[in-house]
Amino acid sequence: MNLILLIILMASLVYFFLTERTSNYVKILTLQGTLLFAIALINLIDISTLALILILLETIIIKAIIVPQFLNQLRRTNNLRRVAQSQVAVFYSIILIVSIIIISFFAAYYVKNQYIQLSFFTVSISTVLGGIYFIIIHKNLFNHIVGFLIIENGAFLLSLAVGGEFPFLVSMAVLIDILMAVLIIGVFVNKIGSTFGDMSISSLNKIKD
Amino acid sequence: MMIILYFLIVSAVFASLSFFIKNKILHIIIAVFYSFMQIGLTIYAYLNINNFDSVYFKFDSLSILLNGLLNIILIPVLFHSKYYIERHVATIKNRGRFITMIIILSSALSSIYFTDNVVLVWVCLEITTICVTFLIYHERYIAALEAAWKYLFISSFGITIAFLGILFLSVQGNNANEVSLSFTHLNSIAHNIDPLFLKIAFLLLITGYSIKINVFPLYAATIDAKTTAPFAVNAITSTALINGGFIAVFRIYAIISKTDSFKWVQNILFIVGIISLFIVSIQLFKVRRFKRMFAFSSMEHLALIFIAISLGKIGLYAAMLHLVFHTLSKTGVFLHFGQIRAFFQSAWIKDTGDYFKKNGFSALVYIFSILTITAIPPSGMFVSEFLIFKALFETKQYITAVLIIILLTIIVYLIFKHSMQLLFGKLPENFKQENAIVSKFEPVSQIFLFSLVIYLAYFPPEFFTELIKSVLQIF
Repeated sequence: MNLILLIILMASLVYFFLTERTSNYVKILTLQGTLLFAIALINLIDISTLALILILLETIIIKAIIVPQFLNQLRRTNNLRRVAQSQVAVFYSIILIVSIIIISFFAAYYVKNQYIQLSFFTVSISTVLGGIYFIIIHKNLFNHIVGFLIIENGAFLLSLAVGGEFPFLVSMAVLIDILMAVLIIGVFVNKIGSTFGDMSISSLNKIKD
Repeated sequence: MMIILYFLIVSAVFASLSFFIKNKILHIIIAVFYSFMQIGLTIYAYLNINNFDSVYFKFDSLSILLNGLLNIILIPVLFHSKYYIERHVATIKNRGRFITMIIILSSALSSIYFTDNVVLVWVCLEITTICVTFLIYHERYIAALEAAWKYLFISSFGITIAFLGILFLSVQGNNANEVSLSFTHLNSIAHNIDPLFLKIAFLLLITGYSIKINVFPLYAATIDAKTTAPFAVNAITSTALINGGFIAVFRIYAIISKTDSFKWVQNILFIVGIISLFIVSIQLFKVRRFKRMFAFSSMEHLALIFIAISLGKIGLYAAMLHLVFHTLSKTGVFLHFGQIRAFFQSAWIKDTGDYFKKNGFSALVYIFSILTITAIPPSGMFVSEFLIFKALFETKQYITAVLIIILLTIIVYLIFKHSMQLLFGKLPENFKQENAIVSKFEPVSQIFLFSLVIYLAYFPPEFFTELIKSVLQIF
């Protein structure tokens, strides 16, 4: 079951580079949020009720409901449909993301350790690197948020890979922090959209000397 | 005891009051009381040195030193915020917001210094990101929006990268209890942590936190932020916030110093320092604004501190001394910029000139500030830089020392070159004397701060030397 969920997660990562519709990005993020919840639920066997509530909050409530809703609102406000602003052709991006996945396999085997779950570790590295690559190849700020959220998903998976379970209070602080950051980033993107007229990174060039 | 928790609760009350109540007098009272509370916290911490405060906080020499510095700079910053608010903030609502953000930022910084938990440091650094973003965008103009966005996004990205580092660090120390990710616990199990994981963790943490420390690799967004942020904000973000990022990295460095990976980590710090110095010496050629120049100057000093730390215990005393002096002097420099901005009504170097003739006393203070940050005697920073070079020669790093001297010479030359335009350059035709704002009391804080640097360098009080020496005992 674990493997199937991880394969779907990996496929969803590749799909980010195949599609150019912003609505699809939001749908994939919703899917990833739900998958992360399922993976966490299966693997964290001796989990306390508080920790379970926290994971439910982080994955289903925040990653699969609140953030996608917020992104959809952002999309509608700024009239974003298809954002064909990738600086690299889809074909090359697919080759690169597949290469990232393969490299992640080798990297995971290199750091092999009794304390980490190798399959999670591999997918988390791929997701983090995939998120960084997604940000690099896109000029649109909306896509930068999507890339940032992909990295966040990778970080969540990495916490599962290393058996990461923080004390409740600390986990709560982390959760609120991440949610706040995403919402504030969204607010600023909205502001940039209305001030600059478009949401491309190339319009942000007023500061350089 | 849970003193810090009470401190944070009262800070939250102060912040809420200044946010919701639109009363100028109340804002001043809150600022004064908050400063006293900060001082009280430092004194309490000093009296309870090496004691824990709940499971999450600990009063050690480094945290006391840095919080003490925050207290010293907070008073002039709040005092100069009054001038900033009068000149640039139109509504009382926005004035309240400004004070609120400064209080939250300062409280988050105190938490960073005192916390003994690696995740809480991370959380507080993320809080500083949000505060600083709003403070950058406080005047609501287009360039500020751009800078705020860049800072927010790159900083959030960096913080996420740092979080990955924390996860690697947590691999062996994980029991999901309150002490599992405390620095004290990690120090005790340092030998058991996989060296590869330690190295990866350090690399990710230094990359992520580099935006806070203003060094390579994520320095660009923070330089842009400082170019547009209000001067009073820069006086904190270029000093106390840098110290916050520094302590986050330094505590991990202290943990790794007990393992075989120590040499590798020292090399990383050295590389970051040298690359940062190179970047500063190149970027200063292109600088056209004062705040950008001062932001790069901060990068130069932090690069020197990293190089000093990379030398091991021998350079550590010099590094700590340099960190203290940089905090005090850079606060003064940014506060003085507020006067330059008010006098010439511009932040650009080209819009200034003939400062000596037009505003002689302030010009003298500016020269004092430039001498201080370029470490030219009688500047106290000369002493710390001298000690860094002494450490370099004692460790037989002659080529590195020569390279650093060359880079520093370029940097000093460029800072003086840009300053010459302000002091003696031709006054631009669009300058209107009637628009120039001069305040007699404004330079006082800078004179105090620069003099304090001299005093601490040449006549250091015993408690100050003891605090720095006990920082070295971490190793």
